[in-house]
Amino acid sequence: MIFKNEIMEKLSKSLVEKNCVINDEVKSFVDGYNGPFCEVLKENYKIAQTEGIPLCQDTGIVEFFVFIGHEVRVEEPLVEILNEVVEIVYSQSPFRYSVVRDPLFERKNTQNNTPPIIHIFQTKGNNLEIRFLIKGGGSENLSRLYMLRPSSNIEDFKRVIIEHIKENGAKGCPPLHVGIGVGGTSDEAIVLSKLALTKNFKERNIESRYASLEIELIKRLNELKIGFQGLGKGVSVFSVHIEAFPTHIATLPVGISTDCYLCRKGVIDIEDR
Amino acid sequence: MAKLKVGETLKYNGELIVMRDAAQRRLRELIASSKEIPVYLGGKIIFYAGPAKPPKNLKIGAIGPTTSERMDEFLEMLYYLGVIATIGKGKRSNLAVELCKKYQRVYFISPSGAAAYLSKCVIDAEIVAFDELGPEAIYRIEVKDFPLMVAIDSLGNQIF
Repeated sequence: MIFKNEIMEKLSKSLVEKNCVINDEVKSFVDGYNGPFCEVLKENYKIAQTEGIPLCQDTGIVEFFVFIGHEVRVEEPLVEILNEVVEIVYSQSPFRYSVVRDPLFERKNTQNNTPPIIHIFQTKGNNLEIRFLIKGGGSENLSRLYMLRPSSNIEDFKRVIIEHIKENGAKGCPPLHVGIGVGGTSDEAIVLSKLALTKNFKERNIESRYASLEIELIKRLNELKIGFQGLGKGVSVFSVHIEAFPTHIATLPVGISTDCYLCRKGVIDIEDR
Repeated sequence: MAKLKVGETLKYNGELIVMRDAAQRRLRELIASSKEIPVYLGGKIIFYAGPAKPPKNLKIGAIGPTTSERMDEFLEMLYYLGVIATIGKGKRSNLAVELCKKYQRVYFISPSGAAAYLSKCVIDAEIVAFDELGPEAIYRIEVKDFPLMVAIDSLGNQIF
C-alpha cells in the first residue's frame, strides 16, 4: 500500500521547487541568451531560487498525469490526495490563486488554486508515477485542435502547426515547448499533446519517422525568428514532441499545446512494495 | 509620450495602476449602467498584471505582465478615461495599434516570466478597488527602475 503522506510529501516538495527553481534545460538556454531583457531573465531565476519567490506570478493551474500500476493500492482516493496537496502548497506559499470556480458566470476565485486537472492511466506493475505541469494561462490560450481530413498529407500537418505558432507564438511567453498529439479522437489528441509537454527537450519519439518530424519542426519553427519575449532574438522553440495514436478512418485530429519558456514540470515515482 | 520611439528601452520610476481582465470588465459594466467607477485613471499608466501573494514581510508578491491582446476590447475605454499608456506582454491586435495612433498613446512591454525580479522593483503597493477579485483586484503600485520597452509608439509603429 502507498500511504497518503508519502505522496503528499514528495509532491509538495516538487510543486514548490518547480515554481521557484528554474528547469535545468531552460537554464542553459537562458544563460546563452543575450537579447533584450537578458539580464533581467538571468537575475530573475537567481532571486526566485534564493528568496523562494515564484519565477512567474502565474503559478498556474496544476495538471497531473498519473500512471498507476495494476498492483498499486493507495491509502485514500488519489483525486482527493491531489486536490489536497494543491490546496496546501498554494495556501502556504507566496503563489497566486489562479483558478475560478464557475468558468462562465461568476468566475469567483476558489482561493486555494484547486481543483487541479487530473488524468489517470493504468499501467502494469507496482509503480505509481505522477507527472505534473504547472500550466500558465498565457501559453494555455495557445492550445488548438485541428480536425484535418484523413486524406491530408504530412505537409498539411506541418503547415497547421507552423501557421499556428507563427500567428500566436509571441503571445505565449516564447521560447515555447510545443506538444503535438496526432490521431485518436479530438480529446485524445489534446491529452497526448499535453503529455508530450512532460518530456525532456532532448528526448525523441522512439519511431524514427516521428523523431525526424520533431527535428524538422524544431528547425522550421526556429526559422520563424519569434525569439525570447517575442522580440526576435534567440530560439523560438526549445523542443517539439509528437505523440501518435491510431484513429478513425474518417479523421485526422491534431492537438497542439504549448508551454511557456519556464517549462515548469515535475515527476515523482513511488513503488508499492 | 510622443517622443518615445518603438524599440526604445527605459527604466521607469513612479506610479502604476495594476488591473487585468476581470476589473476592466467590471469598469465597463459600471460605465454602461452610468455608475461611478472606484478609481480615477486620468494621466495614469495601466500595468496588465495580477500579483501572487506576498511573502512574509513584503507588500507585494511576484508580479509580471499578462497577455495584453486579451484586453484590447477595453483599450478605448481606458483611453477615454484618461489613461496615457499601458504595459503588458506580447503582440496586440490591429485595433490596439490603431487606437495608439488615434489617441497618441504608447504600449510598453515589460519582461514576462520575470516576476521575482519585477517584484523587487515595487517599493509600495495597495489595493484600491475590487478587493474581492483577489489577484484580479485593482492595485496602485510605486516602482523603481522598472524595465520597459516601447512596443507600439504614438505613431502606431510596432515592434512585433
